[in-house]
Amino acid sequence: MRKKWNAGKILDTAITYVILLAVAFVFFFPCLWLILASFSKSGSIYSFDGFFPAQYSTASFVKLFTDTTMYNYPKWFMNTLLIAAGSCALGTFLTILTAYTMSRFSFRMRKPMMKTTMVLGMFPSFMGMTVVYLLMTQFGLINHLGGLILIYASGAPMGYLTQKGFFDTIPRSIDEAAKIDGATNFQIFTKINLPLSKPIIVYTALTSFTWPWSDFILPKLLLKEKNLYTVAVGLMSLDETEFARFAAGSVFIAVPIVILYFCLVKNMVNGIAEGAVKG
Amino acid sequence: MKRKSIALCMAVCLCAGIFTGCGKDGESQETAQKMQNEQDKQEKEQPSVVSTVFNGELEHDVTIQVLENDTAVSKGYFAELIEAFNEEYAQYGIKAVDANMDQYLDLANDGPYGYGPDVLYQANDIIMQYAEGKHIYPLPAEKMECFEQIPEAAWAAYRIDLEGTAYTCGVPVNVQAPMLYYRKDLLPQDWENVWDENGNKIPDMAENWNAMYAYSVSRHAENSSQYGYMKSLFDVYFSSGFLFTYGGYIFGNNNTEPADIGFSAGEAEKGAWVLSQLASTMNEECIDDSITTNAYSKLADGTYFATITTPDMYSTFLEEMILAYEEEGLSKEEARAKAEENLVMTTLPALPESGDLTEEGASFLAAKSMGGINGYAVSAYTKHPNACLAFVEFATSYEMMVRRSELLGVAPARNDAADAVGGTSQLLYNNLEAGNIVLMPSIKEVSQIWTPGETFFIDLAKDAFRPEEEKKYTDLDAMKKGLEGVDQQIYDAIFTLK
Repeated sequence: MRKKWNAGKILDTAITYVILLAVAFVFFFPCLWLILASFSKSGSIYSFDGFFPAQYSTASFVKLFTDTTMYNYPKWFMNTLLIAAGSCALGTFLTILTAYTMSRFSFRMRKPMMKTTMVLGMFPSFMGMTVVYLLMTQFGLINHLGGLILIYASGAPMGYLTQKGFFDTIPRSIDEAAKIDGATNFQIFTKINLPLSKPIIVYTALTSFTWPWSDFILPKLLLKEKNLYTVAVGLMSLDETEFARFAAGSVFIAVPIVILYFCLVKNMVNGIAEGAVKG
Repeated sequence: MKRKSIALCMAVCLCAGIFTGCGKDGESQETAQKMQNEQDKQEKEQPSVVSTVFNGELEHDVTIQVLENDTAVSKGYFAELIEAFNEEYAQYGIKAVDANMDQYLDLANDGPYGYGPDVLYQANDIIMQYAEGKHIYPLPAEKMECFEQIPEAAWAAYRIDLEGTAYTCGVPVNVQAPMLYYRKDLLPQDWENVWDENGNKIPDMAENWNAMYAYSVSRHAENSSQYGYMKSLFDVYFSSGFLFTYGGYIFGNNNTEPADIGFSAGEAEKGAWVLSQLASTMNEECIDDSITTNAYSKLADGTYFATITTPDMYSTFLEEMILAYEEEGLSKEEARAKAEENLVMTTLPALPESGDLTEEGASFLAAKSMGGINGYAVSAYTKHPNACLAFVEFATSYEMMVRRSELLGVAPARNDAADAVGGTSQLLYNNLEAGNIVLMPSIKEVSQIWTPGETFFIDLAKDAFRPEEEKKYTDLDAMKKGLEGVDQQIYDAIFTLK
């Protein structure tokens, strides 16, 4: 049956599209501007022809990776990648274990622990910065990338509630069936629940990766040597005349996240499909 | 019963605490006096901190971390310096390395945990703030080779008085003060006939602000997209010199008395008037820091004729001009040669006694400016103070100071080095000796001058773009009142919560 279009419906659709386009433009325009600015030939924001660069070139990107005397972007990039990947692996592992334990096992103090972690999670992480700094000096972990990985990974399980919610949706009847067949708790977790949890694992991995990838405060606090800087700290240390390099650095930092997203989105969808309980 | 016992116990503890303050008056005074005498005696018996720490015995087989400024690193001077030092001190096993930290480090927080550098290069006001917090070692300055060659004014910037003893906490390396940058190729064709009144082959614009003002007006009138002199006026570091020329000062008693604030002293309002007249030849970008940031590219593309900034930015201006000439089709070598010929850095033009930039046949005063002395200091957290001192001695030697000046274009604080380098370095050195460079105070209260100063200069710059009936600074009295307000705000900021 063909849809009937009347004036009210057309107007409604038009207004919806206009609003959506306007919102999309507001979010997209700064990104577009930054991408174009990173290709500015002059490298100075003040030589723009109006709002956009007058001439374009890839010189800023070339400089970003070749001129490393003062600003070693490749090194910062690798540092960031190492921290983010390490935090992602360790953080995901800890978060999934925490969430699974809280979802599947009943033990004394389970409820109080859940309440405490929920309350602690409400405090902004930077509140503990002074203590973190003092602890890190005592452990000799200032100027160590491993110190950052430890902090990020150990803080990750605090946000286990989403993952617990997911595990709660997996029917316990599957666990019970496996138990009857003689499976141990470890086997139930690794052979049954983990394969069903791909979507939440992917989600956890993505969030565990993006937080350290873009964090500024903690690396700024704990990394004093320029060669250990992450991209966020390094870009902030650029001289005020290095705008194009800043823009190029900011654009390039988005590349791994985009790649990661496109790689994992397939698993996410497959996981959702595979995770469904079939009759 | 249990509750009552606990309450009784707590009450007894409370009373005991209160009574601990009781005792015979004379007894406590006597004890205090005795302790003070003991302390004085111990202090007299102890050798001075300087000779204890810097005992002349070089630590062997050590590595010292040196923090230099970014320009010295990027221009390759720092690499040369540590290479030369390491070669010289290889026999002792002393090695200097780049501390590889942000040049704006936080020694007060990182030093105590062992994460700061051993030797640091900073401006005098920063070093002296660290000195007040005892994060810096006092140095045996009089025993150093460079002592006689550096003027007293420069040493004074690094001196701190603690319990009646003066300590020198840094070694001056180079003088930082505003310099005028202009492009020779943007001068009018007939400048030698029209803009060189005294016929000394130096354009009048570089010699007095009246000519600079007149040229700025005419250049902008000819082409509205071009300007003469351009500078962000809100910047207290650059703008306050105009006040100092007419009698203003920061703190009294050689910048050591924070209760005596003198931005409005003497006829400082004339300096504010000069700034206001200069603002009228610029655009609204003079209100914020836009011009400070864009001056490099705008001077290079010919939009601006002149600006002022510190001498260490010479190479940045030069690079921008080379790029601009290359875009015009010149080869790299031709562009560099042309840029070096056309970019002129010189000392500030003279100011008219009356403060009126339109006055004809005016008599002029030498311009004063706020300045700083950058130098080396030794961290109080270093484990190798004698090796650090050896590094500072080496880095402040005649050869290294000359080399530093050649590579970075900075003005050395050493007299012999300034003589050897000549040019603007010599002019800056002379200005320092003549008292035309007012060194930034080395007391912590200096941190309170910036915001009130900026607020006033922003308001003054805005005034040039307000409609006539809304202008706030219409005469010298209004400017004086504005400056008195600045003094009061600084005073309140320093003393309200003290």
